Amino acid sequence: MSRIIVYCGFLQEERTKLPEMGVGGSKVNVLAQDRLCLLWSEVPWPFEPAGLQQKAVEFHQVVQHVFQQAAVVPFRLLSIFDGVPALEKFAAENGATFTADLERLRHYVQMESVVYVIQERAAEEEKSGRAYLEAKAEVLRLSIDHAARVKAAIQPISQEIQVREVKSGTRIFALVRRGNEERFREGVKAVPLPQSISRRVSGPWPAAEFLSPEVRMPQSAGQQ
Amino acid sequence: MPSDFEPITLTGSAEEDVSLLEIIDHVLNAGVLIHGSLVISVAGVDLVYVGLNVVLTSVETALRSLKAEQAREPAKRSSK
Repeated sequence: MSRIIVYCGFLQEERTKLPEMGVGGSKVNVLAQDRLCLLWSEVPWPFEPAGLQQKAVEFHQVVQHVFQQAAVVPFRLLSIFDGVPALEKFAAENGATFTADLERLRHYVQMESVVYVIQERAAEEEKSGRAYLEAKAEVLRLSIDHAARVKAAIQPISQEIQVREVKSGTRIFALVRRGNEERFREGVKAVPLPQSISRRVSGPWPAAEFLSPEVRMPQSAGQQ
Repeated sequence: MPSDFEPITLTGSAEEDVSLLEIIDHVLNAGVLIHGSLVISVAGVDLVYVGLNVVLTSVETALRSLKAEQAREPAKRSSK
């Protein structure tokens, strides 16, 4: 059994070069709907779980290939359509919103900084329950404060910022004009890092956190 | 800076170091959400920072669910 896997959407430009190979060595195809292009492959389905990690990297490489040249709307791995007609219907129904998002984001990339607490288990085990909770609260306060400082530092070069609290800490997503990635990294690095707190900067990524709700969870034509 | 992330090098015109966990996180949790990926998103973005095994387990679980769902579908249709 095979299915259609979709990598990303992008605006049609003559100069955009497409990857030669998709997930599992599959052929990469383009479905055009007015100015919107959807990149897709026909793949054996379902995937074998053992090969998922490799497929995730291959999927990423396909999206990155286009993203290095232009703005893309990435689909998630395992975004599966029953066949080309279902994908065509999806494109017809959602083409206008996808195109509008791609126009809005065409000069931007997403940068990310994750602020998280360094676990010090050995020291924590020696503390009493109250001391442990107090220390934990203090580190959490430091983490929140640091995330706020990072956010303030990148504000001037960011078109938009999203902050999401996760179990491990705080994720800060910034919509940054393409070419300003280094300024983002420098902005984050300029904020002194307290002990017990760590952070990581990554990007550029496609601006997935800044998609409109209609694009992020579109009408999924042809899907059960 | 200490990091739990395993760096890998991707081949391409502009080589860059990106952690495998970050790739898996973005590929599974960022972007357009349609059929299939919904199951994955239950695991949550933050789980990827707990460990790769957690995410892969979730993927496997999701795939098992999808297979089970697919197996149920013909049964449903034939019972109608």
